[in-house]
Amino acid sequence: MSNALQQLQELQAFQKDAQISIETLGHFCVWRNHEKIDSKEWARDKTIQLLQYLVSNRKRNALHKEKIMDGLWEDWNDRDFKVALHGINKVLEPKRLSRTESEYIIRQGVSYQIDLEKVWIDVEALEKYIIIGNEAFTIDNNIAKIAYKAAIDLYKGSYLPNRIFEDWTSEEREKTQLLILGAYITLAEILLQENPLESIRLAQNALAIDATWEDAYRIQMQAYILKGNRPQAIKTYMKCEVILEEEYGISPLPETKKLLKEIEEIH
Amino acid sequence: MTKKQDQTASFMVRFNQRIFEENGESKLQWRGKISHVQDGEEKRFSDFNDALTFMQQKLGELTEEATKHQTSEEQESIIQKSFSMWKTIKEIGPKVIRDTLKDPKKQFTHLQDEIQDKISTFGEEFSEKVQIDQWRNASRSDFNKIQNQIESLSSEITKLAAKIDTIKTK
Repeated sequence: MSNALQQLQELQAFQKDAQISIETLGHFCVWRNHEKIDSKEWARDKTIQLLQYLVSNRKRNALHKEKIMDGLWEDWNDRDFKVALHGINKVLEPKRLSRTESEYIIRQGVSYQIDLEKVWIDVEALEKYIIIGNEAFTIDNNIAKIAYKAAIDLYKGSYLPNRIFEDWTSEEREKTQLLILGAYITLAEILLQENPLESIRLAQNALAIDATWEDAYRIQMQAYILKGNRPQAIKTYMKCEVILEEEYGISPLPETKKLLKEIEEIH
Repeated sequence: MTKKQDQTASFMVRFNQRIFEENGESKLQWRGKISHVQDGEEKRFSDFNDALTFMQQKLGELTEEATKHQTSEEQESIIQKSFSMWKTIKEIGPKVIRDTLKDPKKQFTHLQDEIQDKISTFGEEFSEKVQIDQWRNASRSDFNKIQNQIESLSSEITKLAAKIDTIKTK
């Protein structure tokens, strides 16, 4: 079995078996033992904020509690942090015995981080699927297709949409958006010959995120030609030209213009 | 007191590089997007100066909002200071980007020093600002004192004038 396939299967198994799953794309939702946690269980918004902050900073080494509080709250005290952390542990492990270490939030002195070996998080899985897709791309496009599709399935909208005005969420939102734009375009390219309609749909999804993503217009033009729809291919170019002029004051790239010329020459 | 959140503006800047051949010549185009996190507003740009103008506008609004309870004179002075910082950044900004593209590692170290310098410089300017304010308050109270003295002098002069008139009539 290839390494990429094995990684893919392990990732899929983790998604299925994890005792705690956190969804952050398009909405925020936490699952405990495959059951959705009711929002009332969180009791305080600060508890949710702390968990979301730990998710947003999951790649950094354990974060000092003062750094966490500085990043999150205007006025804070130790009690806020203690109560919020207790809230998280209570929700994730309601049956945990007092004075025992949390299973999902790793503590090192006064620094904390989420245990990514035990907690499944959609943004983390999305990135890993894309990495597998990128590694398998051109070597084994079947695996690449499965990996990109798995990543796309996870993308249900922007990262923590109810926190878009909080700067500690921006980095993750931007990163995920770029990853998913890349996945849409690469998968659309792979599928162009075998399924041009799907390529059009994927490119459209990319344009819904960023209407100026020129690669997406080019893929749609090629796919429309493969479907024998020349007028729609030309119309797509026009749309691209208008949006680039409106947003940047520039014209499409020579590559896109060349494609239009080729399309116009088709009789 | 103004809250820390109301004193903060965060920006997310995305650069997208396009390298292409045109008329047998290699060309590079930058397409960018800048987002102001706190209000979600976005601006796309192909000229970095447009991004700087966007930031300047957002920071100007922030300063204006934070100083709305001050006199128009004080507000004007603070906004001018904010703009003078932006004039410097607008002048050095595009050069910094150009140098960063040429040699990112070297430029990163250089950028750290530049930022440190600017922080010290503007830190000093803002401290000066506080002193000017203190001076302004003192000047206003002096003005009030002088005004009161003039009023009492005027009153004394009126009384004296009345006395002279009385003496003359006698």
